[in-house]
This record gives sequence, C-alpha cells and structure tokens, in this order.
Amino acid sequence: MPVAEILKTLFILLVVVGGLAPLITWIERKQSAVMQDRIGANRADIGGLTLIGLFHPLADVLKLLGKEDFVPAGANRVLHLLAPLIAAIPAVIAFAVIPYGGVYRFGDHTLSLVVSDADWGMLYIFAIASLATYGTVIAGWSSNNGWSLLGSMRASAQMISYEVTMGLSLVGIFMVFQTLKLQDMALAQDTTLRVFGFLDIFFGLSHPAIDWIRLPAWGVFYQPLAFLLFLTCIMAENKRPPFDLPEGESEIIAGYHLEYSGMRFGLFFMSEFIQVVVIAGLMTALFLGGWSIPYLSTQTIVAGVGRFMGTGFATGLCVLLHFAAFMLKLGAMIWFQMALRWTLPRFRYDQVMDLCWKVILPLSIANVLVTGLVMLLVQEAA
Amino acid sequence: MPGQVIKVERAAKLGFLERLYLPMIAKALWVTSRHFFRNLRGFVTGRNRTDFVVQYPEERVDYPDAFRGIPVLVQLEDGQPKCVACGLCEFACPTNCIRIVSGELEGARSERTPQVFELDLSRCMFCGLCEEACPEEALVMSREVEFASYDREGLRFEKEQLLVPEKLLERRLTFLRAGYDRECEPKGGA
Repeated sequence: MPVAEILKTLFILLVVVGGLAPLITWIERKQSAVMQDRIGANRADIGGLTLIGLFHPLADVLKLLGKEDFVPAGANRVLHLLAPLIAAIPAVIAFAVIPYGGVYRFGDHTLSLVVSDADWGMLYIFAIASLATYGTVIAGWSSNNGWSLLGSMRASAQMISYEVTMGLSLVGIFMVFQTLKLQDMALAQDTTLRVFGFLDIFFGLSHPAIDWIRLPAWGVFYQPLAFLLFLTCIMAENKRPPFDLPEGESEIIAGYHLEYSGMRFGLFFMSEFIQVVVIAGLMTALFLGGWSIPYLSTQTIVAGVGRFMGTGFATGLCVLLHFAAFMLKLGAMIWFQMALRWTLPRFRYDQVMDLCWKVILPLSIANVLVTGLVMLLVQEAA
Repeated sequence: MPGQVIKVERAAKLGFLERLYLPMIAKALWVTSRHFFRNLRGFVTGRNRTDFVVQYPEERVDYPDAFRGIPVLVQLEDGQPKCVACGLCEFACPTNCIRIVSGELEGARSERTPQVFELDLSRCMFCGLCEEACPEEALVMSREVEFASYDREGLRFEKEQLLVPEKLLERRLTFLRAGYDRECEPKGGA
C-alpha cells in the first residue's frame, strides 16, 4: 500500500470522522440551545477561555475515561465488553467508500479522493449498516436487564425493517446512475441537467433559451422521492430521535445501553454521532452532487483556470474547492439532521413500523417502477 | 410575571395536509429554523437574541413573596428574636425538625425566649406550617434556598444562623398580613 493511500485513510478516519464526531456533540448541544432560545454549553474553560463551549467535548471525554467500567452481575462478560466495539467500528469504517473529492489527473498519476474506490460501494454500506445492528442487539442481550433486552428487541425490529426499505428506496438512484460506485455517482452529478429536456426528447422541441434553464445534475433532482424515503430510512437506521425507540428514555430508561458506563457508554454515544457524519456524507454523495460545485464542472475549472495558471495548478485548485464544497454540503446535512432531531417528537412504536411497511415500502416500489418506465420511454424516444 | 394562557384548538379530525405529515414537518422546521437563524444572528451581532436563561450563580431570580424557603426567626432591632418560645411551631411541624429549649431572660420584653432554637434542614420539607402556627409573626419563610452542605451537621441551623432582621423580611410579612382578612369559607356556599 503506497504512502499516499495510508495518509488518505488516516486523514479521513481521524480528521474528518474522528474529529467531527466529538465536535458534533457540541453542535448538537449548541444548535438545540440556539433553536430553543437558550444559551447552551458555555462553562468549561481552560484558563478562563471558554471558546463558546468548545471545551465541553474534551471535558466529556475526560470524564467518561475516568469513570468506572462496570459489568453488571449475571451479564455475559465477554459479549458485554465486546458490544460497544461491534457498534462503533461499523460506524467508523462506513465512511471508507464515501468520496470527499473527485478524480484528478496530475501528469500520469491519477488521484481519487476516496479511501476505498470499490465497485461495490453501496453494497458495502448496506452490509455495514446491517452489522451495526449486532452491536445494539448484543449489548441489550448480554446486559442481563429486562429494559436493555426490550430496547434491543425494538432496535432489531426497527433496524432490520428499515434496512429492507433503505435498499429498495435507493434502487431508483442506481438505475439513474447505472452504478453502485459512489465516486462514479459523484462524477455523474458533476454536470447540469436540462429542466425542460423532456420537451426535446419526446416532442423534438428545442430552443437555446429553454436549454439555458438548467439544474445541477444532482440525485435529489432526478429522484426527489428517493431522497425523502432514503433520508427517513437511514435516520431510522441510526436510531436517533425521532426514531429513538431503542433508547426511549421515558419508556425503557435508556434501552440497550442502559447497563453501560464510562467510555463503553461513550462508544455507543459516539457511534451515533459518527453515523450522523456518515449519513451526511452518504446523502451528499448520492443526492447532493458529492464534492461537485453546482454549475461549475471540473472540466470548466481546469480549462478556465488552466489557460492562465497551468493545468497542474488548476487541478490542485479543484482539489481544494471540491473538498470545501463537500465539507459545506456535509455540514449542511448535519445541520439538517440536527434540526429534524430537535423539531420532531418521538414516534410511537406502531407508527414507526407502519411508516416502514405501509408507507415507505410501497412508495419505494412505486418509485422503482416509475423510474424504470420513464427511463424506458426516454431510451425509446432517443 | 403571570403566565399567558394559550387555548389550543385541537381539530377532531386531521386535515389532508396534516395526514400527509410532510408539510407539517416542513412547517415545524420553518418555526425552529426561524428561531435558530434569528438567535444565531443575534449571537454574532450581539443584539436581538432571545434567551430565557438566567446565568445562575451570577444572576438570580427574585422569587415571589409567596415562595417558601428556609424558615427564619424574625430579629428585633435590639438583636433579640421576636420568638416567645411557645413551642407551637415545634408542635405543628410534621417532620419534627424544630427543637426549642425555652428559658427566661431578665429585662426582656417577653417572659420567655428561646435558649436553643434548632432547625434540622435535612428534614424540613418547607411546608410552612410552622409559619402558620406562629402567633407572634416571629417565624416566617424566607426566600433563601442556598444551604447545600457537605455533611448533615452543616444542615443543622442554630438560632444565631436563623436570625434575620425584621426589615429584610418586610415583603413576606406584608404578604402574610394580606392573607389575614381573606375569606376562608368556600365560595358559593356549602
């Protein structure tokens, strides 16, 4: 493995995912406070410097590390100690296939800014999401506590149900982009889309003025329904509010992680926050054009800037701009998830199941059929 | 500040948009995001930020006169307690947290005065029955609530710790006197 690959992996896992996750605990506390006309965390200080509460994640981690690592009597010791790891590791490694920059050519060297540029990218995401269920289930099962068991039973039912619909809701996107590779999807979204293109295809009506009306060729414009369905499914999969039934503080105390203390509880806690980053990255790559800048494709930048400054500089500029665009979209999606989390109350258990099996499943099947029909018609006409 | 009463009209049947749920989520997000961005702008510019937070140790809420904090002894201007050690509060106390040892004092304004007046705050439940029982306006509920201690001994308050000059208790005394003339019979007749 070349040094560049190792550096890339370390960067994305330690800086983007590992660094963002503690920050998100701060974002969550602060955003909810600002939203609810409060002040939020602002007390932890180092030498009188509070930095609008940015030391709180640090203080939290130090506190969690210093706490007793407790295993309840009657618990299965091995599984109890393993479960947090089983929950946290899938959350971290899921980011491996999410592209945070495009494919660049420096001379005869090609740089693709994604940790693992695998053809089976989305299948890997689905597989990893299923693995995360085990951490939750084993945690509740091994704790020797009725409430924990209830929590993990809820978790397994909810997460397995939503996995079905999560895969199905994305089929439309796979059909549009004809790939499972996230980098290819992001590349395909690096262009624009004629809003009235259907007039040209079906009726031969074409006019330069109409052709000027364009949208970025993002997944959300091709598949708006899939965007909503997938967002719902993957938020349910992350079991954060409004889908936090496995934890359900008012009903089953804390659910599956009830018997955990110290950093082992912290791992469950962090895995949810890391999943928030992963969800944001996934939504960005699938529906929001990934690293692409709307109306400004890579070729345009390389050709435009390259004329004056040289192609190498222009490509380097592209790397920075695309990474900035990706982080901006990532931040926006994280903000949106937090806003949803602090806006909606928790669903009832039957409502969660109804939503999955009676609403999202039929809608995703209908979405696949309609997408297929439209694509067939377009192919016939073209 | 009296709370504002908002009457919520709950339609018996949900409308079409409400049953779709998505428009309602958008509406809810609009409300929360409006608060978020208004307060965020307020945070950056330093004005027009709504916040209902009292920064507790630095700022304090002025509790209403009807608030029941630690029961305290009214201290007259000569430094003596107004208490005549009749023991009614001790008798009225449901948790037995008051202990009085009465004694005589030469040249005092009353025949008896408490030699010892002990209040065990680890047992007190701030019901205010001692204040109601007191015939002399000598024991009133204060607005003081900060008496946290590292051990139980620190929660046993002696007479000297409980004495508060009458001037400082004027608000509570006025509030109590306003209650003397109040109608006690149930309205509308039994």
